[in-house]
Amino acid sequence: MRHAYIAKQRDEHGRKAVAVLPVHYPKELFTALDLLAVEMWGPPGAPVSADAGRVQAYVCAVVRNALAFLASGRADACEAVLFPHTCDSIQGLATLVTDFGGWSKPSFVFQHPRGGPRPSSRAYYLSELGSLADGLAGLAGRPLEPEKLREAVRLHRRIDAARAALLDGRRRLALDDVELYRLLRRGEWLWPEDHLAELEAATARLGPSDVQRGAPVLITGYVPEPGTLFEVLCDAGAFVVADDYAAVGRRVVRPPAALDLADPFHALAELYWAAPPCPTRASDQVGRMRYLAELYRRSGAAGVIVHEQKFCEPELFDVAAVKKTFAGLGAKLLYLEGELETELSGQATTRLEAFVEMIAATARVA
Amino acid sequence: MSRSIGRRIEFEVAGRVVGPALAAFERAKKLARRRGPGRPGKKSSPFGPPLEATRKLKELMTTHYLAGRYADGAVPVAWVTSGFPVEILRPLGYHAVYPENHAALCSVQRVVPELSDAVEKEGYARDLCSYARTDLGSVLTGKTPVGRLPKPDLLCCCTNICQTVLYWYRALAAHFGVPLFVLDTPYVYGQAPGHHRTYVRAQLEELVGIAERVAGKRVEPDELEAVVRVARDGTRLWGECLAQSRARPAPWTGFDGFFHIAPIVTLRGTEACNAYYRMLRDELAHRVARGVGGIRDERHRLLWDNLPVWFDVRGMSTLLAERGFNFVCTSYTNAWAEAGSRIDPADPIGSAVLAYTHIILNQDLPNRLDILRRLSRDYSVDGAVLHSDRSCKPYSIGQIDLKQRLARELDIKVLVLEADHGDPRAYSVEQGEGRLTAFMESFA
Ligand code: SF4
Ligand code: SF4
Repeated sequence: MRHAYIAKQRDEHGRKAVAVLPVHYPKELFTALDLLAVEMWGPPGAPVSADAGRVQAYVCAVVRNALAFLASGRADACEAVLFPHTCDSIQGLATLVTDFGGWSKPSFVFQHPRGGPRPSSRAYYLSELGSLADGLAGLAGRPLEPEKLREAVRLHRRIDAARAALLDGRRRLALDDVELYRLLRRGEWLWPEDHLAELEAATARLGPSDVQRGAPVLITGYVPEPGTLFEVLCDAGAFVVADDYAAVGRRVVRPPAALDLADPFHALAELYWAAPPCPTRASDQVGRMRYLAELYRRSGAAGVIVHEQKFCEPELFDVAAVKKTFAGLGAKLLYLEGELETELSGQATTRLEAFVEMIAATARVA
Repeated sequence: MSRSIGRRIEFEVAGRVVGPALAAFERAKKLARRRGPGRPGKKSSPFGPPLEATRKLKELMTTHYLAGRYADGAVPVAWVTSGFPVEILRPLGYHAVYPENHAALCSVQRVVPELSDAVEKEGYARDLCSYARTDLGSVLTGKTPVGRLPKPDLLCCCTNICQTVLYWYRALAAHFGVPLFVLDTPYVYGQAPGHHRTYVRAQLEELVGIAERVAGKRVEPDELEAVVRVARDGTRLWGECLAQSRARPAPWTGFDGFFHIAPIVTLRGTEACNAYYRMLRDELAHRVARGVGGIRDERHRLLWDNLPVWFDVRGMSTLLAERGFNFVCTSYTNAWAEAGSRIDPADPIGSAVLAYTHIILNQDLPNRLDILRRLSRDYSVDGAVLHSDRSCKPYSIGQIDLKQRLARELDIKVLVLEADHGDPRAYSVEQGEGRLTAFMESFA
């Protein structure tokens, strides 16, 4: 399906595809240069080649699977790969697979500023954007036109606005979680205009009053895999009312009311600092906890699910604070850890069902 | 934190009088014990005579930690990562605490499981770096083998060793409610591009402002230059100590080096550090001249990659020494010598940009391979052990490929040994010894 889509994009629109590792990257640059970003969150399941064994078993499944996938040739429909510097493990993967074998096409890195919003970080972010833009322009074989970048920024703002509408209006949305997450995650590889069309069609299903029944939960974590988690949640009588997945909610930017597009690079920097806090972007922990507490209060969630990937340092370092924050709010919390399985384990299913039963009994009325 | 004169006096007395006196007392006690009747049936040691400098090392570190107990309220206190440019803090009178060094000490004393348990109960996963778990556990419980760690006024972390320190220090900042300064050194692929260097430079300038504000004092350029000169000389001296092991037999073991690295990590930029390394270098050179080895019968020379297994250094080194194997070089101890070569007192900030960006862990795998190759050749090793450290992903990712390349290119035997630098629960001594023994047998 994805291969067919990539081929179609190439054949019909002349768009080259670039594989992109998690999590944050300036997608607008790709759009402005007519490059199709295809995100690689693993992929889930067992590694597809023995190359996964080139990294130790104590490295997360996202990196092991990505190494196996890239080295197996299955990403060869892509013309390049981008490694955002999300964590030590992706940083290691970037040099391992490009320098020691597994990926011989062009590769790019995008190194986020990790020192918080201060003048040096802002200046650096702009220069790093410029450097990536130059690299991508070389791949695309055309210069980056400022007007095209402005258009891309506007397009992605519409996407963000639609995503925010769906997430914020969750109770009034006539889609179940399986459908909603499938829709949101198609943005990881669809051409942005195609994704926007789907999102806008979905926003038409936002009604004037609540349609979601069941216990509302706030979910925070890394990536919503396996998708069967939402089936279990739904069957158990709950729905996600607020999302803080790194792959989903933390990438929905609610920008300042008037975004100045005179210099589109500055606009991108503005958006970077306006995004929800995320440990993979080194957001301050106290600020992140404040954000989560506010999300919980605002959403009227009856419970919290923390869903992490094993061995994921950026996420796992915040778990103690997350637990403490929600305990302070009197929120019930379930902690789940996975390794990019394709199915939720029997044990996790039982825990999830029991959790929903418990919170349903005390569910708050929004 | 407000600072008082009384506290300052306590701090100075602890550092200048009590610390050295305590170390002298410990030394005398040990000497008296040694003079007693020898233990019958004790196996003869496979090691060479103990280094005289070790006594001084203990004195230096005891004094450092003792003074630290009284530092908060007396002088500004910074908690810093091992790769942080501490030279900028020294002229402002900061007492620097190195949680990594403290965590290593905790591991040697085997208190990591207890400290880690405390934070695991709070929600920290056992899969996280054991240095971080140990430190956070110590903060949470107040337990430490050094009596007490002073509370920080400023937290300083540099991403040149890993991104883990960033998450760890974010948690510390939330706990202590004090400012965190992150010196972000983008990872180097090949060469650091100009805009990365500009970024690091701008941050160093920001650091000066923040450190001055917290200390309530200004950095004087001549004082900074003097500290940087001392730091540069210290790293050179440390390099000279390590280089003594190019001789056959090596006058000490790589495992000794793991302990003697403490001053260059924690006291870099001080005269005490340099005086210590002068003494150590001279002693090692003297041993080389007399053909005295770190082990009695050096038959095979090995390279060690990654952090040590702190809680089992003694066990491992004995196992190896008994069979004539010595670790004559380690990429870990070498890192502190290598970084210093770029420091330039004439340009403290500009040279710090280069020095602190080009740390082994902040550079790509081809660079790592180059370093391992160079060390292998310079120290004439015939084998290497790559410690696959469960706690340290940045150091360990790539070792499986590195193993193959080293073995193929240098025609040496290479072992990847799974362990952990701090947490004994993540390492089976029996299995580790079994693997090391089989490795040594392959040299027959
Ligand atoms: S799961 Fe965590 S550790 Fe793994 S690649 Fe993603 S951010 Fe990095
Ligand atoms: S041991 Fe490794 S992961 Fe831990 S702090 Fe040191 S460099 Fe970072």
